[in-house]
Amino acid sequence: MKKTPERVEALAAEYVLGSLRGRARRRFERWMMESVRVRQEVWFWEEKLGHLGARVEEETPPVSVWSGIERRLWPQNRKPVTATAANDGAGRWLWPGWSLVATAAALVLAVILLQQPEPRDDDRLSGAIVQADLTDPLWLVSESAFERQLKLRPVAATAAEQGKDYELWIVPADGQPVSLGVVPVGETYQITLDDETRELLSSSRTLAISLEPLGGSPTGTPTGPILHVAKLYEL
Amino acid sequence: MTAIDTEQDELMGLLIAVAREDRAAFQRLYEKVSGKMFGLCLKLASQQDLAEEAVQDAFVQIWHHAGEYHNDRGAPLSWMLTIARYRTLDLMRARKAKPTAGDSHLAHMEDGREGPLDVSLRSAGAEELNGCLEELSEEQRDSILLSYYRGFTHDELSETLSSPIGTVKSWIRRGLMALKRCLEQ
Repeated sequence: MKKTPERVEALAAEYVLGSLRGRARRRFERWMMESVRVRQEVWFWEEKLGHLGARVEEETPPVSVWSGIERRLWPQNRKPVTATAANDGAGRWLWPGWSLVATAAALVLAVILLQQPEPRDDDRLSGAIVQADLTDPLWLVSESAFERQLKLRPVAATAAEQGKDYELWIVPADGQPVSLGVVPVGETYQITLDDETRELLSSSRTLAISLEPLGGSPTGTPTGPILHVAKLYEL
Repeated sequence: MTAIDTEQDELMGLLIAVAREDRAAFQRLYEKVSGKMFGLCLKLASQQDLAEEAVQDAFVQIWHHAGEYHNDRGAPLSWMLTIARYRTLDLMRARKAKPTAGDSHLAHMEDGREGPLDVSLRSAGAEELNGCLEELSEEQRDSILLSYYRGFTHDELSETLSSPIGTVKSWIRRGLMALKRCLEQ
């Protein structure tokens, strides 16, 4: 479809109003990325219709909304909360124990700054999953905000014991770990992260690998031993 | 300088500070804007938890993108409310949690529009918009306002306004273009 001025004008208005939906909306968002003229048309409507938003009666949001924002932006600063609901559920996996497990496994964490062939203007996280008695890392980890991808490249990693799989997790500062799927050993494991997962990873910067039944944890939280914990660093 | 200008200047100052990662300014911004934002999201979604999530998401975005705000994006308040409104619409679509089209919503919408406009429409831009909305036909105005405040789809508008979809679409399209011509004068 051609970006005629009439079409841009009509679609921009419907985009801001919200009545442009589905594929038409996504196509128009591509137009916005491609053309400043399209964006300006959108801004015109955002500004004009924005006045409608400002005339709505105020409603004070519950306090939990602000604390949720703080938790998402600065999870490391969080004051310890007594008996948080998230960790209280009966039968929940006792995640705070992971640090002890990791220590018991005599794990050494190391950072290897990966040489990026073409430095790009984006945020990258990087690190390695290592084991004390091996000189080579098990996996090299890199995350690119630009590509929205997390890559796990096996170096010295060996296959899990028979009937088992390795599963990769993001370990948030609090709450349950989030699965990033089962990691194959023989090849580079590559996952595209959605916004929420990226946000979580960039704030916690902690990954873990657990040993799970074939196909991964049946419960959605780690069920087997935590083999490795790795911290990622910004490049 | 009017009260509105002072207000927008203050919001602008806070946004600039937020772009420099000033957390105290961010909290102050939240205190100033969250009531309006939550009111708008709640009206749009008719669902408390969805509105709460949208406000959270919007403020996380504002923290990360405050540096991208510029004058072409409208007044600071409009910019922030727009972020929250898009987020609410996304969440509504993702959850298919659309408000049911019905008379109660229509009545509610009318309340908002007929409310104490003299009080709430203090800025020049808002008065201009209001004047131009008044020049539209009633059907055009209602379909635009129901889309804006309620996130109604064409189907829902067609049901609520008891008119064929094609008619509803053309009310919106023509209404918006008439509005633009009026606003550009």
